[in-house]
Amino acid sequence: MTTFDKNMAAAAFAEAGDHKGAREMLGNGAGQKQNKTPEAAPTKPYAKAFVLGAISVSAYVMLFTNEAWVMETFTRGGIYTLFPVLAAFFFSFVHGPFGSDLLSCLGLEARKK
Amino acid sequence: MKKLLIVILAALLMMPLAANTASAAGGAGPDKDMLKGIITQVDEANRTFTFVRESDNQTFTFIMGEEMAASDLSLNAKVMVNLDKHAGEGVAKSVDRMFLDMKMKTVISLMVIGLIGGLLSGFIGSGGAFVLTPAMMSLGVPGAVAVASNMCHKFPKAMVGAYKRYKYGQADLKLGLVMASTAIIGVQIGIQIQKAILQAWGNAGSNLYVSVVFVLTLVLVGGYVFSDARKLARKQNDTGHEIGKLALAMQKITIPPMMHFKTANVRISAWVTVPVGLFTGILAATIAVGGFIGVPGMMYVIGASAVVASATELVIAFVMGFWGSVQWGLSGLIDIRLTLLILSTSLIGVQLGALGTTYVKDYIIKIVMASVMLIVAVSRGAKVPGYLADLNLIQALTPSTIDTLEAISFWALVAALATAGVIITGAMVKGMMSHRAETQSALADARK
Repeated sequence: MTTFDKNMAAAAFAEAGDHKGAREMLGNGAGQKQNKTPEAAPTKPYAKAFVLGAISVSAYVMLFTNEAWVMETFTRGGIYTLFPVLAAFFFSFVHGPFGSDLLSCLGLEARKK
Repeated sequence: MKKLLIVILAALLMMPLAANTASAAGGAGPDKDMLKGIITQVDEANRTFTFVRESDNQTFTFIMGEEMAASDLSLNAKVMVNLDKHAGEGVAKSVDRMFLDMKMKTVISLMVIGLIGGLLSGFIGSGGAFVLTPAMMSLGVPGAVAVASNMCHKFPKAMVGAYKRYKYGQADLKLGLVMASTAIIGVQIGIQIQKAILQAWGNAGSNLYVSVVFVLTLVLVGGYVFSDARKLARKQNDTGHEIGKLALAMQKITIPPMMHFKTANVRISAWVTVPVGLFTGILAATIAVGGFIGVPGMMYVIGASAVVASATELVIAFVMGFWGSVQWGLSGLIDIRLTLLILSTSLIGVQLGALGTTYVKDYIIKIVMASVMLIVAVSRGAKVPGYLADLNLIQALTPSTIDTLEAISFWALVAALATAGVIITGAMVKGMMSHRAETQSALADARK
């Protein structure tokens, strides 16, 4: 169905009094607008939590599967100090937001004033 | 976010200042009489062992100290050798395997403590470190590695917690930076005092001094916070925050330069804030739990509310923890596995604690803080008889008494965490339920 056909069909439905059907036919645009009313519940960040969680778990798996190399390199001292410090930063930027999204998914949100 | 980046940048710029500074919870940094390397050979008959230093591959032959056994030495694994300078040249006091093998029990223990420690940290601004280090040591981690790994977990946790609480409008970044920079200088002074005491009275004297200061500070400050919280709880006023008499008097001092802290809603002279920061640093270098001084200092001397003070403490913990980590990292003592295992749960705990503060009144934060301080004081107090006996000030303790005191000390720390966990969870659930009921009744009213 072309856009023209779709629009014409929607117009026909609207003229017949089926406004809901006409709106559905016009696609998601109208439907989305309806969802954005102030009363709509905020969507939970399942996808974001999943992606960040997957990255975090992969990083943990990588760390422990390469344990020997990691322990050798990260404990050399001197300039190698950057390894543990940057690793800690990396995990806080990935695992921290994951924790935040996880809590949101569990319905634990801060009180809004 | 922009302000948080400024904090990170400021922390980077403070590097030269902190170059010789051990962090608040880190004591005086790694011991200079400690060598890192690998043992290649053990001669049981002559009680000697061959050691290759990691930094320059130089080979040494050390004599085993009186308390050491050949079975304690592990070959071809990274070890730390502590030399006993008093016993003579080349005598080892102890040899510790630096990095332990990870067992399921270790992993689970670290994750559980991390979660509760994080929760506490997010709620009262500090916590976790005082139990994590001894807990790690009881799992077999050498003291220096436990302190270093704990330090490296502290700054990311504090950063995530500070960011959350900044978003809730609770953290005062300017106050945090002023406190952190002055506390770093205070830590330097504190270390010098520690060194002087160590030289004058030796190890046992220094331990006794630290414990007495620790117990006195925690009992006095914790007791005061507790009585204040009880008074506030009785009044049940709307905000739960009242500026104390001391803070009001301090705010009347108008000697320039004056500083305005927007989030804390305080205008106060730098002549007040700077000494508070310095004193926090000096005490932090002594008792290794800076937050227990910084938060009450901000509440009762500067006049910030408990919510703002505990949130701002996270900014201070980030700055000081970051530089502590660099310090320990330079010596190669951070066991990143331990750090990241604790972080796996503490990064969630700290955010849960942070959001918990939005549901409770100010006095609940004070109650949690005071309870933790008083129970931790018991833990440290249990060590005092041992130090007194070491100095021959009282009769030597029997092995069973030593064991009992050790057990009291450790379990008091666990009890402190558990008590805090229970109060925070209870207060949070109650707050959430009443908020939900309020929202629902408001919605029902709106529909009518």
